[in-house]
Amino acid sequence: MSNILKATRLDFSLVKPYVKVIGFTMLLPIAFAAINRSILTGVSFAMCFIAMTTGYTFSVTEKNSMERLYGILPVKKSEMVMGRYLFVIVLGVIALVVSLITQPIVLQALGETVEPFGIISAAIGGLFLFALYTVFQIPGYYKFGSIKGRVFMYIPVAGFLVTLFLLPKLPADNPLINAIASSPVLLLTLAIALVVVMYAVSIWFSVQIMKNKEM
Amino acid sequence: MTNYLEVKNLSKSFDSFQLHNITFTLPKGYIMGLIGPNGSGKTTTIKLILNMLKRNGGEIKIMGLDNIADEQKAKAELGVVFDTNYFSDDWKVSEVEKSISVFYPNWNSERFSEMLRKFHIAPTKKVKELSKGMQMKLMLACAFSYDAKLLILDEPTSGLDPVSRDELLQILSEYIEDGEHSVLFSTHITGDLERAADYITYISYGELFFTGSKDEFVDMFRIVKGGIDELSADLQAKAVGVRTFPTGFEALVKTEEIGSFTALDIEPATIDEIVVFTSKKGEDYE
Repeated sequence: MSNILKATRLDFSLVKPYVKVIGFTMLLPIAFAAINRSILTGVSFAMCFIAMTTGYTFSVTEKNSMERLYGILPVKKSEMVMGRYLFVIVLGVIALVVSLITQPIVLQALGETVEPFGIISAAIGGLFLFALYTVFQIPGYYKFGSIKGRVFMYIPVAGFLVTLFLLPKLPADNPLINAIASSPVLLLTLAIALVVVMYAVSIWFSVQIMKNKEM
Repeated sequence: MTNYLEVKNLSKSFDSFQLHNITFTLPKGYIMGLIGPNGSGKTTTIKLILNMLKRNGGEIKIMGLDNIADEQKAKAELGVVFDTNYFSDDWKVSEVEKSISVFYPNWNSERFSEMLRKFHIAPTKKVKELSKGMQMKLMLACAFSYDAKLLILDEPTSGLDPVSRDELLQILSEYIEDGEHSVLFSTHITGDLERAADYITYISYGELFFTGSKDEFVDMFRIVKGGIDELSADLQAKAVGVRTFPTGFEALVKTEEIGSFTALDIEPATIDEIVVFTSKKGEDYE
């Protein structure tokens, strides 16, 4: 097992006591999707919620002064950081998959038609929003800690509200948006490329913060 | 003789504190006490050894490995115990093993279970349910389970009752018995060192005051006692520190200077007395 995976596993063991709470939070986006009759807003809400749990690992670490444990483990700081990103991404992907399975079922039970394109768009949108939230949150937590950096927990909420505000304002006849929307492959490729770039930059910043941090 | 820890000219500057040119070596198979008053730089030195702080100068080798360039390899050989527990309070003891063991290729689960039995720690208990002494033993059990060659303890006895302190010293003595392990043990409870330490490194106000064998350290000074009328100007000038009472005085004097005062009551100095007198920087006090 690589050191990154070991670090991911360590992070999982930190949030294990909170798994039930995290699971419960996934029920609210289902209700939100049902009220709004939209899988896109439901998934966006789910990814906003799950992004807010990113701070759990930082909180547990800070509460228990576990930076000392990280300081003595035979692992590079960069590997610890990448392990945490991997943990956050895995958590996000699980939340996305759960949302993409449960929300269409609930919407169909309510008589709504959920098109495959709607599911794909929600998946891409959810993934992108989650990445957008977490790439700012994680370096913030590394820099300021979970208590001082609590403000970073609200990035997803702000991001979600901005998304809700901007979505209806998108021009329906914009050729660029139409071109991207008409090609799910292009949409997916662009979203994945952006997500990869955003995470790469975010990881670089977090590693630099950790390398310069004294414990 | 193989050195398990070599610290050369170690320096670190903070806004209000500087650690200057700390140099010491810990040979394989021995216990070294790192002593000094609170705020003297003991924890800073340990954090620099662990690369948890960035040094401004100097060199640190752990079992011949550079503590920065070969950080991972060096840390695989290190066991560390801090004054407070560093595991998640919500973990059960068994979860501590699951979470930590993956980082150490030579982790021995049987050894861990054996240590838990020896230390009377129930694997089903949560870390937060353990007493401070038990939490310290849990950290030790982890270090012993991957056969850490060098054990670094930062103020492990502070806050422990005398029975737990005695147990810890016994554990450390057993740990080095095979001659293959070493211990660096920071403390301001110097009584612990009288029993356990082979070597002493004494840091005072960020400066290295002494490093060498415990016997050599203790032998460097004598306590001179007498009535208040026997406290001469010569003695005051030569004494490292003087403590006066209504009925008399006690002075710490370098052994080499003791020849002039043989008429007075002369006793061996304890580590505690040496630290107390020297940390007053030669000022008289009552």
